Amino acid sequence: MILAAPFAVIAAASILNTSFLGISTEQWSGESGSGWFTFHWFGYVWDLYRESLGFSIKLALLSVAGGLLIGVPGGYALAASRHWSLRFIEALVMLPLALPGIALSVGLIQAYSFVRGSWWLILAGHVLYTLPFIVRLVTSSLRSIRLDELEMCARGLGAGPWKRFAWIILPTLRHEMILGSLLIFAVSWGEFNVSFLLNTPLHQTYPAALYATYTSNSVQVAGAATVLFLAVLLPALWIIQSYGVSRECSVEQGA
Amino acid sequence: MCRTAFFLAPLIALVFGLLVWPMCVLGYASARVSPGGSGPGLTWARYREIFSDPYYRESLVHSLVLSLAVAAASTLFSLAPAWLLARHEFWGQRLMRLVFSLPMSLSGIMVGFLAVVMLGRVGFVPQLLQKLTGGDWLSGSAYQLTGLVIAYLYFEIPRAVLALEAPLRKLDPQWDMAARSLGASAWQRFSWVTLPLIAPALWSTFTLAFSVSLGSFGVALILSRRFSVLPLELFHQFTAMSNTPLAAAMAVVLAMVALFLHLAGAGLVERRRR
Repeated sequence: MILAAPFAVIAAASILNTSFLGISTEQWSGESGSGWFTFHWFGYVWDLYRESLGFSIKLALLSVAGGLLIGVPGGYALAASRHWSLRFIEALVMLPLALPGIALSVGLIQAYSFVRGSWWLILAGHVLYTLPFIVRLVTSSLRSIRLDELEMCARGLGAGPWKRFAWIILPTLRHEMILGSLLIFAVSWGEFNVSFLLNTPLHQTYPAALYATYTSNSVQVAGAATVLFLAVLLPALWIIQSYGVSRECSVEQGA
Repeated sequence: MCRTAFFLAPLIALVFGLLVWPMCVLGYASARVSPGGSGPGLTWARYREIFSDPYYRESLVHSLVLSLAVAAASTLFSLAPAWLLARHEFWGQRLMRLVFSLPMSLSGIMVGFLAVVMLGRVGFVPQLLQKLTGGDWLSGSAYQLTGLVIAYLYFEIPRAVLALEAPLRKLDPQWDMAARSLGASAWQRFSWVTLPLIAPALWSTFTLAFSVSLGSFGVALILSRRFSVLPLELFHQFTAMSNTPLAAAMAVVLAMVALFLHLAGAGLVERRRR
């Protein structure tokens, strides 16, 4: 609990500084409103960074879609076969979690310099970086059940590969898919290391906008922007925690 | 097999297209003699530069030492809270876990900002201390090495706690009970029974914390004034200096260090499992 205390203090301070005027904010910027509360800065931030907010939400949702469309079938295939080459592929899929994000982004820029300036590269970085989370959830879940027996049963009843995937694997994985989607959303929403260099003048992720505020705006504006960031993040994390713990899923901790 | 290939194809294409190929290009860009040109030939010059130029070497050493220290400290400090979360049920547990899961998607820049708010020149803590004691304590410490270390620990410890919690939860309490029935003291039980059992988990937590610290540059981007770390230097080379080959070489060095530790960690855990 001692460890948790500074978190609470800092979280409170970052919020209090935005709406209460009087802790130490006047010394940072000359402006001070009348009264204790002001929501003026939220409106200001909203006008200023609405576009990057929308862009980050779009990126996060597209990453979730990518994770579900690519990660779930891929994870199923990885779990279903024991071939050595698939162990290698799996290690490669998990690798982005261990590598420094900035190295990945420089590599992406170098390899695909011809599309630099479009937001596809940002999406690519996000998908690459969030895939390990859902693949790990899917493989560890499918390895903990008797997958081959289930499949054998279904095959005995005359189900083809598509039917087996759609009617056995997907329903089995429904919790992992929900949890994985939320995880991908949360990670993509806050991602900075990979996407910062990939940002273009027209397409900025919300964390990149946060960086701009932190370096050039007053504490009230920066605080309000941070609170907006947390307002999207906290509900997702809350559901992940209650959902993941009740299902005894261990959540992968990535870089 | 055909079915496996079909389900796996998008994943393989993605990993090779977005990870393997860019990394190869990166390696090539860092070693090509004439950047941007078509001249053949490879050179080690940029790597030599990183290791011989005092400034770059210092950034590299800073990165390694800082990451090692932070990883070791956060692994150590996370043991008790992880034990608490794994073994005990208490009010507010869920809230505690939520707070601990925040850094997962809290980018370094935000941690840097929190450090400035708390420990900056007119930060919350120095102001509070001044009100209480009248002295000028900790003012501006966010911009010194102290602030950098505190900020790194701030996002590494919770991560380490959550990473350690699952293995601790799986630990069979009967081992502990058996040792107790044989008359082992609390310290003996911890060092001879619990510690060897969780050693692989501790090691993988350490490597995770290390690679996260190594790659993180958001904190340093906000806080660092004179103290440079390699990812920050890479960022400057790539953006301000436009020295792409050198930036690529730095990226390769960072990736190699992270990869080495990752493989060492995986290998050790694998060996323990057998």
